[in-house]
Amino acid sequence: MYPTRFNYESPKSIAEAIALLHQGGGEAKILAGGQSLVPMMRLRFAAPEMIVDINNIPGLDYLTVDADGTIHIGALCRHSDLEKSSLLMAHQPTMAAAAPVIADPIVRNRGTLVGSLCHADPQGDWSSVMMALGGIVVAQGPNGRRSIPAADFVKGPFQNMLAFDEIAIEAIVPAPKGIPNGGYLKLERRVGDFATAGVAVAVESSQGLIIRAGIGLTGVGGSTINATAAAQSLVGAPLTAGSIAHAADLAAQAAQPRSDHRGSASYKRQIVKTFVVRILSGVVESMERAA
Amino acid sequence: MSTVKQDTRLRDILGTSALRPDGVAKVMGSFSFSSDMWAENMLWGATLRSPHPYARIISIDTTAALLISGVSAVITAQDVPGKATYGLISADQPVFASEFVRYMGEPVAAIAADHPETCRRALAAIIVNYEVLAPVVDPELAMLATTEQIHPDGNLIRHQKIICGDPQISGDITVEGHYTIGMQDQAFLGLEAAMAFPDSGGKGVELHIATQWLHEDRGQIAACLKLPEDNVRLVLGGVGGAFGAREDISLQVHCCLLALHTGRPIKMQYSREESFFGHVHRHPAKIWMKHHATKEGKIVKVESRMVFDGGAYTSTSPAVLINGITHTQGPYQCDNAVVDGYAVRTNNPPCGAMRGFGVVQACFAHESQMDKLAQACGLSPVEVRLINAMHTGDKLITGQAMESVAPVERCIRETDAIPMPEPLAANANVLEFPGGSGRTADRQNIVRGIGWGVSMKNLMYSEGFDDYATARCTLSNGIASLKFATSEVGQGFVTLAPQIARSVLGVDDVVFETSDTQIGSAGSTSASRQTWMSGGAVDGACRLVRERLFEHVGELHNIDPIRLMIEHTDVIDTIGTFRISVTEATQGITLSETFEHHHRKTEDLDANGQGNCHVAFAFVAHRAVVDVDIELGLVKVVQIATAQDVGRVLNPLSAIGQIEGGIAQGLGLAVMEEIIMDNGRVKNPSFTDYLLPTALDAPSVVAIMIEEPEPQAPLGAKGIGEPPCISVTPAIVAAIRAATGKALSRVPVRPQDICL
Ligand SMILES: Cc1cc2nc3c(=O)[nH]c(=O)nc-3n(C[C@H](O)[C@H](O)[C@H](O)COP(=O)(O)OP(=O)(O)OC[C@H]3O[C@@H](n4cnc5c(N)ncnc54)[C@H](O)[C@@H]3O)c2cc1C
Repeated sequence: MYPTRFNYESPKSIAEAIALLHQGGGEAKILAGGQSLVPMMRLRFAAPEMIVDINNIPGLDYLTVDADGTIHIGALCRHSDLEKSSLLMAHQPTMAAAAPVIADPIVRNRGTLVGSLCHADPQGDWSSVMMALGGIVVAQGPNGRRSIPAADFVKGPFQNMLAFDEIAIEAIVPAPKGIPNGGYLKLERRVGDFATAGVAVAVESSQGLIIRAGIGLTGVGGSTINATAAAQSLVGAPLTAGSIAHAADLAAQAAQPRSDHRGSASYKRQIVKTFVVRILSGVVESMERAA
Repeated sequence: MSTVKQDTRLRDILGTSALRPDGVAKVMGSFSFSSDMWAENMLWGATLRSPHPYARIISIDTTAALLISGVSAVITAQDVPGKATYGLISADQPVFASEFVRYMGEPVAAIAADHPETCRRALAAIIVNYEVLAPVVDPELAMLATTEQIHPDGNLIRHQKIICGDPQISGDITVEGHYTIGMQDQAFLGLEAAMAFPDSGGKGVELHIATQWLHEDRGQIAACLKLPEDNVRLVLGGVGGAFGAREDISLQVHCCLLALHTGRPIKMQYSREESFFGHVHRHPAKIWMKHHATKEGKIVKVESRMVFDGGAYTSTSPAVLINGITHTQGPYQCDNAVVDGYAVRTNNPPCGAMRGFGVVQACFAHESQMDKLAQACGLSPVEVRLINAMHTGDKLITGQAMESVAPVERCIRETDAIPMPEPLAANANVLEFPGGSGRTADRQNIVRGIGWGVSMKNLMYSEGFDDYATARCTLSNGIASLKFATSEVGQGFVTLAPQIARSVLGVDDVVFETSDTQIGSAGSTSASRQTWMSGGAVDGACRLVRERLFEHVGELHNIDPIRLMIEHTDVIDTIGTFRISVTEATQGITLSETFEHHHRKTEDLDANGQGNCHVAFAFVAHRAVVDVDIELGLVKVVQIATAQDVGRVLNPLSAIGQIEGGIAQGLGLAVMEEIIMDNGRVKNPSFTDYLLPTALDAPSVVAIMIEEPEPQAPLGAKGIGEPPCISVTPAIVAAIRAATGKALSRVPVRPQDICL
């Protein structure tokens, strides 16, 4: 199908883009990688009157790490930039594991992490990764900037917390207080598919104890799920087979999957459980190797 | 994948791996598929389909659609001038639904417009008022007299019993099971497409169409159009795969009607989603089977009840049912049988032909049973199959004698002798793991399993049907020209036919005339039959021409034609020294002959399922090796070893192509391919959600072709298209059972069936 008619704007600055959004009064949409917006428009699930293409705004494609380890991901940083980043491979295992399993190489070349968060697809991989990491989205609107925790950023399926005239400028992963570890596992039916279920685990450890943990679940609920009870159960103790199994059970309980053509609800819970165990067992191994 | 040794003989005759004449064009993208057709002044046709599995049509209002600029015609059931219904066996399917829609996607109206986008808008503007009814979707319920009959012909399409030998006899050991086969789609890549050209004056039409059987289509179309068959000419369009789904009418009648209605060429082409609704699928089936055997594992009796869900219309259900029940015994000796088979109408999508045609369903059940029997008797899967293997001359449960070459034992033994694959290496690439691309399988959780499947498959049409094939050969100036209506659907008849002509006539240049209805029928490209049937027709026509050539040369050179033969590209005198090239011998003359090949007669089954209903049979054995991630339920098929009874290999490359392709399709049914139904609604009409095996899922195939020429077959070659996809499915499932210890009585095996 063809999209409905729309106006196309290509601002050269953030301020200009915000002005256009404001002028659009809720009928304008930002175009980043277009890997979700364009398909939605073609299927006529979305019919914005105006497209505000931010690809010509300079300086938004960054991926940087501060001295303290804080990671900044600009609004035009693509999935493929993250996939190829040696920085993430060295310092942020959860993100490094997620980047290569998103969609396919063609989609990864265009799609952005920030766009993915904004899209708030319950099957989007980055939302659960950012939740697990305790990430933050920085939004800018006519009244300036504000920070929104990734855990609060998603309001529901395909709904985020941005006002109609706000742009998400960047995503931030806060500096770790311990040694960061974790992973992302995604069950897809074939390459390029959305997740049947996915699990993001991010932990920080110090002297063999877990001092921070986050677990995000992809594709097993109406929106991305923050499995806080499962994550909290790990904090303050070393990782053991018992604590891992317990956390896995809690994560499976936190999932709210539906039976569909990707699998039954109980199968999806089983994946969540298995993935939590596999990621955390991998963490144990890598902690032992480091020690 | 296998490699085929390059042949050193120079001429592309029988037995060589002659390359496909259309191969390069298909790989380069320059081949013209039926969806590539274009004509000056043409319009686009499109179909309005029912959103409901079952509903009464209260009214159809086409006024608004007709007012849209660019729309030339909107037609409904009222506009069908001839027969309102069509069908392969029973004409029970409406061209357009008028009173009731009986399945989701049933055509209700069609339009012609200047652009696909105009079509889309016009379809949206047709207002159909439905009274939605509760669909009948369970075949067990549907066949009860107390259930609402959804069609004037009733819900029971066909019931057939087989009673053979002593129905009361029992054995020392019994094993039984209930088995379920899901609905598989043929999933050809070239979507349904056609172009219809109306004759000026509207008294006839020419349809270019991707089909399996031009003449059968023509008969059904002409009846609906109320035109003499001669006024309906069908020309074969480029076909991108078929697998049974192009045996039934899809857009043929709609396209012709629109062309006659508008007086302009009409192009119609389904989308992938529409294709899922536009053609029949493989019958889902429920099978109960019980085997009685001696302590030693020798089968004494088989009992079975099979229920095939035919969906809303008959299509080929009666024949699929007969194939299913007559193959209950599999490739095994069995003296006693009690089988009860039902093909039932429901509000599910119509089901019909698909590669394997009823035998796939029966085979999953009997092979699962053979493993149970092996276990009960303390035998290995190989031993139990060898003990029971069928031989030529055995009597089948239909009373028919097995006259075909039946190298069942050899198939099993030679498969068994194929070396096992290496164990999964510690440093194996994750792409080799179950779930491959997902990179989620865990090396430690991967378990390997081995399983077996052996099958028998009938070749050609059954129960008295004379599915003959016609071909004409014209030889002139050293060039043989072949004419036939045989559908090339990808199977390679266009490779084989010239090989035959070269072998028989000693020519190198072979050209084709258009495949159309301007010659007698070739029958359908299905039932593994075209090499045998159309191959037999081309062979027969070429032999007649060769006789004429010998007469001509004999007369000219004063040699008794009986002394002449073809050697390479020459006519030679077998006694003297005379030699003349075929090219020279045919300068300035034209020799043309037409030949019809008929197979031997078959007969209907009687009330007890007795009768010589099948023409011939082919056999195959499969051994599957799988790796399974037990916690996630993911499967990787590592290797398929197979030995197939092929009669004679006419083209090694084509043969291995059929074997590997069939295995991929059987693998699809084993672990991924299923049209998921929910109360009559199709849940996954796309290749995103209907999962097809890809290169990553394809196992390594080690194939042996067993050559014991079949005396009945004109070229000694059996059909090889269907057997590869039949017993590979149960072999894979058996391997998963071996790895997981799960009972797994349903295909496709879903991840949740393994890990929950
Ligand atoms: C074939 C295919 C497969 C895919 N598979 C996966 C997968 O496996 N996993 C996965 O996670 N995703 C998948 N995706 C989606 C992909 O990751 C998208 O790229 C991503 O979800 C959106 O990023 P984008 O930059 O393309 O955003 P766009 O499509 O440009 O925008 C998406 C939405 O976010 C809004 N938006 C974008 N950027 C901003 C911003 N800076 N500020 C405010 N609003 C903004 C847009 O207005 C729009 O509503 C797939 C996409 C395709 C086409």
